[in-house]
Amino acid sequence: MKVADIIRRAGRSLRQAKTRTLLTSLAIGVGAFTITLSLAGGQGGRDYADAIVKSNTDVREVVVTKQTDETAVQEYDPDTAGLSLGAGTPGPAAASSGIEPITMTDIDQITEVEHVDSVTPNYSPQVNYITADGDNEFVVSSLSTFAPAVTLTYAAGGVDGELADDQIVLNEDYAEALGFASPEDAVDQTVTINATRQQTVFTGSPEAKDVDFTVVAVSSESGLAFRSQGSLLISTNAAKELYDYITEGTAAYNKFFIASVLVDDPENAGLVKTELENQGYSAQTAEDILGTINIFINVLLGILLGFGALAVLTSVFGIINTQYISVLERTQQIGLMKALGMSGGDVGKLFTFEAAWIGFLGGGIGAGLAVIAGTIANPYISDALGLGDIYLLIFEPLQVVGVVVILIIISILAGIFPALKASKLDPIEALRTE
Amino acid sequence: MIEVKHITKTYGKKQNTFIAINDVSFTIPNGKSVAILGKSGSGKSTLMHAMSGLDRPQQGQVVIDGRDILKLKSKDVDAFRAQKMSFIFQSFFVQANESCYDNVSLPLEIAKVPRSKRRQKVEAALSAVQLLDKKKSRARDLSGGQKQRLAIARAIVNEPDILFADEPTGNLDSTTGGVVEDFLFNYAKDRGATLIVVTHDEDLARKCDARINIKDGVIESTTGFAERPTKKKKVMG
Ligand SMILES: Nc1ncnc2c1ncn2[C@@H]1O[C@H](COP(=O)(O)OP(=O)(O)O)[C@@H](O)[C@H]1O
Ligand SMILES: [Mg+2]
Repeated sequence: MKVADIIRRAGRSLRQAKTRTLLTSLAIGVGAFTITLSLAGGQGGRDYADAIVKSNTDVREVVVTKQTDETAVQEYDPDTAGLSLGAGTPGPAAASSGIEPITMTDIDQITEVEHVDSVTPNYSPQVNYITADGDNEFVVSSLSTFAPAVTLTYAAGGVDGELADDQIVLNEDYAEALGFASPEDAVDQTVTINATRQQTVFTGSPEAKDVDFTVVAVSSESGLAFRSQGSLLISTNAAKELYDYITEGTAAYNKFFIASVLVDDPENAGLVKTELENQGYSAQTAEDILGTINIFINVLLGILLGFGALAVLTSVFGIINTQYISVLERTQQIGLMKALGMSGGDVGKLFTFEAAWIGFLGGGIGAGLAVIAGTIANPYISDALGLGDIYLLIFEPLQVVGVVVILIIISILAGIFPALKASKLDPIEALRTE
Repeated sequence: MIEVKHITKTYGKKQNTFIAINDVSFTIPNGKSVAILGKSGSGKSTLMHAMSGLDRPQQGQVVIDGRDILKLKSKDVDAFRAQKMSFIFQSFFVQANESCYDNVSLPLEIAKVPRSKRRQKVEAALSAVQLLDKKKSRARDLSGGQKQRLAIARAIVNEPDILFADEPTGNLDSTTGGVVEDFLFNYAKDRGATLIVVTHDEDLARKCDARINIKDGVIESTTGFAERPTKKKKVMG
């Protein structure tokens, strides 16, 4: 018998037992539904995590701090006493947090490490305020350095490569507060940042200066960014200049808590991290951050896939049972076909294809419903989780097809035992009527 | 030509051995209609199964057109049956859920007849048993006589050389049975096919060219054979 004819007859047999076929397919359909959704969730989750990391860190970046044993009692050091995270605010905070400052010596030492391209201290100058018109002054909660490798989304304007030393990237909140009607209006306007030089000894009125910047872009709220979003961004040189101006002459001068190391190749980030840790630094790569997120995603994905696999396992027994009963019910049919010259192998194929049809039907329906349900649910999920226009369920066509194909194969495997029974059936026994 | 040589078929083992067919031999020329006549349990069906290669008797040969089909591989016997033989059973064995068309198409599919040639053959076979108008009806909706006519259509669709009929009218009243018999004999006559009818019905046996009377697994007598090869072998009876 030709394979095409066997497949057609297999499909017809199933159609003649519609209810049973559908019920058997249902179990495998539940499995297909769960597995398809979990794979889509895993894909979406990983893409999302990847996007988060790309929006917040440079994959070539290794963030370095110098950490001492936190639980150990610290000796008082007048050098670090005036230094705290964020710099500028005097107090013993640093010593108690167990963080030692990174000095210029450290930076030179880190620069020598193999695969390190550059080391930039994290200048985050504590400036006084920012103003556009000279009258309305606003506190600057965070002023950071711009990194070209970090993906930002812009409400207006944009940055081509590096930021010039007299340029600034605002965010939407500041653009509005500074009195610009729209983000577009802010672009090309001048804003002024005021900074005060810190004093070690109080000498009356402190020295202060204004620095002008041209707005090149306004960054927009993104579901991805957590570092850059709240910060106003200026070039490293501009930040250094402000930082030095503020801290020069104090204990905090040329001492930093965080340095950013750029590695020649993202592949080598791990190597550099290990070397730096050997030298007593504490280092974190982009992968460390991504790794934590991915572990979470993978655990969740694993649980969901487990449920799907369980449903598939159940359906395997369903298929064996259904097909076995079908063989028993159709002994006469099998006997007749064999009497008419159908080989045992072809009879086996007939039942194998029936199992395959069940797998195809269940897999197709389950995966199809998952894609439909997921596509409908995506905007609501993103809304509920505040992801903006990022979708959490991403259906890769190849993955969906793969799920169906694998379920067909599993169904065929489940159908082997009943098919073998059918192929071995003795036609004389089967056609005995008394 | 079908030559049956010293066929012996036993069931069971050792002390429980039951001899269903005991050293049976005969020769059927091509194009003849032969009745295998005997009471219930005499071994008629067993003999037919052996002759068609459905069953493998412990001893003997079944030589059809010079080939001993009992020596063929099971795949080749299957192919042989698909090409050359056909069956009609007492209980019809039509597929109740399938259309008459699909029922009749089955042997063609098994014999790997291309799809393009099937339609014409199926319709010709259905016409021959006057069921063409029921082409699309499901077999379950047919009467008993119609079901057996459908079985005949299925049996003749691939134009077999040998037609086996095991109590073909056993489940039918005499009128419908007579109609069914006519279809069978007409096909055999028109095609020059060999028809082997297994029956306990004297009237049906009388319509055949020859007959083999069988009792308790041995040939009791034969009539209608030109030379009577079986008479000589009947010593064991
Ligand atoms: N599978 C079997 N096992 C044991 N005995 C069998 C088997 N098949 C048939 N027989 C016996 O062989 C004898 C001949 O059976 P069968 O050829 O069906 O008779 P008939 O067709 O003439 O009624 C019967 O007595 C039957 O009980
Ligand atoms: Mg019988």
